[in-house]
Amino acid sequence: MTSIALSSSRTRPLISWRARKLLIGYSYLVPAALCMLATVVVPIILAIKMSLYADVLYKPQEYRFIGLGNYVRLVQDPVFWQSLWNSVVWVFGSVILQFIFGFAAALLLQQAFRGRALVRTLTLLPWIIPGVVVGLIWEWLYQPNYGVINDLLIKVGLVHERVAWLSSPDTAMAAVVFTNIWRGIPFFAIMLLAGLQAVPDELYDAAHVDGANVFQRFWHVTLPLLRPIIVVATATRIIWTFNYADLIFVMTGGGPANATQITSTYTLVQAYSVLDFGYAGALSVVLLLVMLAFTAAYLHITRGVEETD
Amino acid sequence: MHDRARLSRRKLLHTLAGTGVIAAADLAWWDEPFIAPRKAFGAMPVRFQWSVPEPTRIALMNSMVERFNQSQKDFVVQIEYVPQAQARQKLISSVSGGNPPDLCQIWDNWVGQFNGMNSVEDVTARAKAWKHYADVAPTAWQTVTINNQIVSLPLAVTLDGIYYRTDRLKELGLKEPTPDWTWDEFLAIAKAFTKADKNQYGYGMRGGGTWALLYPSEFAYANGAEVLKDGQVVINSKEAVDALTWYLDLALKHKVTPPSAATDGFVEIVETFGRGVTSMYQHNSGSSSQQKKNVGPEKFATLPLPIGPAKKRASFWFSETLTMFKGAKNKEGAWQFMTYMLEDEPSLKYNTTLGLLPARKSILDRPEFAKDPSLAGFVNSFPIGIVSPYLAYPGWGGKIDSDGVPLIQQAMLGKISAKECLDRFAEVLKKEMS
Repeated sequence: MTSIALSSSRTRPLISWRARKLLIGYSYLVPAALCMLATVVVPIILAIKMSLYADVLYKPQEYRFIGLGNYVRLVQDPVFWQSLWNSVVWVFGSVILQFIFGFAAALLLQQAFRGRALVRTLTLLPWIIPGVVVGLIWEWLYQPNYGVINDLLIKVGLVHERVAWLSSPDTAMAAVVFTNIWRGIPFFAIMLLAGLQAVPDELYDAAHVDGANVFQRFWHVTLPLLRPIIVVATATRIIWTFNYADLIFVMTGGGPANATQITSTYTLVQAYSVLDFGYAGALSVVLLLVMLAFTAAYLHITRGVEETD
Repeated sequence: MHDRARLSRRKLLHTLAGTGVIAAADLAWWDEPFIAPRKAFGAMPVRFQWSVPEPTRIALMNSMVERFNQSQKDFVVQIEYVPQAQARQKLISSVSGGNPPDLCQIWDNWVGQFNGMNSVEDVTARAKAWKHYADVAPTAWQTVTINNQIVSLPLAVTLDGIYYRTDRLKELGLKEPTPDWTWDEFLAIAKAFTKADKNQYGYGMRGGGTWALLYPSEFAYANGAEVLKDGQVVINSKEAVDALTWYLDLALKHKVTPPSAATDGFVEIVETFGRGVTSMYQHNSGSSSQQKKNVGPEKFATLPLPIGPAKKRASFWFSETLTMFKGAKNKEGAWQFMTYMLEDEPSLKYNTTLGLLPARKSILDRPEFAKDPSLAGFVNSFPIGIVSPYLAYPGWGGKIDSDGVPLIQQAMLGKISAKECLDRFAEVLKKEMS
């Protein structure tokens, strides 16, 4: 009798303990997942849908499903290909040099010297200033007729005629990339400085005892330990620069003659000047695919790097 | 705690339910609340989007709106300031999202697009019943009329003319040009003004923004060319190509323009003139106030555009409009404010402060406009004013920015010829003729 009573009180629960634990775990993720769904997934789906329609805002009567029509048009659009190439130059030209100069700045700021705290703060300035303001400042600095850059170059005798930095297709891209480099150096400097401060001094001491010179210590100690930060910072920066349109929009508006037109500014022009949201949607989707392909390739190449030896 | 002082659960639920019923009852009267006070101290709001290119406009508009709000008690205008660069984008987003402002200040070259979006209110009946209807210049009405429907009120009008430095003319011992000057005289003066070694140039050519294409188009009309003729795009006619070649030669052959011309927009052409780098530029009356401060009112004057080889000339007429939206929640309030802004005193104040020209003929005849030498070029341009041909199709405005401006920039840099530029642009325009 006793054994029967015991077995009836131990009826099997509807959900097992393990399943319940799993459900509770997932339920904690639900708010974040819903946020992601609403702010990332749904807009992407809507953009994909938009790209499959003829959606010119001032022609509502022509709104219809056209399948891949916008993508076919995109493949045949020479400005799109030019903007894609410009994007590559803009992104890699900016990020590679930002990284090199940022790394140099981080190594300098790591050294002990009087006023280091002040210099570190000042280094952040270009990063703190909003992108639009940076664009306006540099636009005036580059101004050929009364800009400071031309004035200084003429005074020191480096150039004899005023150079129209932003008005010539030969120099416009270099000029905006230079501005972006100036703005992005603090990002790498601060990220890498944080990494440098985490490298134990003992490793340098041991390498020194083993007879390693400065360059060898940098190559065999500093660089391997900073690799995880370098991978993350570079990937983040590349993705961000690809989508970053403010600077070019303010400084050149994509001109002259599309010389600085990158895919993100071209998308803005199609959406808000031409009001062709279907085509702008197709451009956005292609931009997304390019970034996904790049991110996948980058993570594949740097696989395992984020784990230090 | 005392039992009487404590709110019982039942009482709490009753109170909540009662509040809910009252709120729900009032919800139906959301736009005109049943319970909330209205007339006494709750005038109906009018949402008014206003784009802000400079601080003067903010101060001016604040004072005008305040005066309107104090002049009556039924409506209260609430200004939504938007930076000029984002104004169009913000408006498109709000119209697409179904929540447009009641009223907006926009240029007539945008109105076509918004009308194409079926978002602009037809104000024909109101406009024709308005007491100043006959006083508004007919061309001003044309700029805001689409398919025989009036869709806006023209707050101010602009015509393009040429600004030039009178003091430099005297320094160089040159004869003062007359209002019927020609292309040859224009070129001769531009050459005389140009001293590249001193960073001085004759003509501040515009390469950035929509007007980079409109300015040479005006010169093309002086050579007998047109943009649209008998329903056909003829912008690449021989006359137009010749005119553009002549215009581009100002930069490419005669080098009377600053090296930055290919990207110089509104700010740059105004600033370079103000700083003495250029001695002539093409613009509407909107920068005259600024030049009075920068250069000094006695050192510059304005003229109509020069007469071309075809013995013709034209100046494109644009209107700064007040436009009401179909989705407006307070159309009556919006209309009251629109008409208030075109009354004698507000219109005079607005246009004299900003250096614009009023759309009403009786105000334009006042000495503030007719006798001001810095505005003479524009007042004298009224007989040659035509509605911009680029207003013909709603899609053309956007195509000027996306395709036309890069093409004209390429031509200004000598990368493509005038003919190639116009042939390609004509194809772009033809595709958008619907």
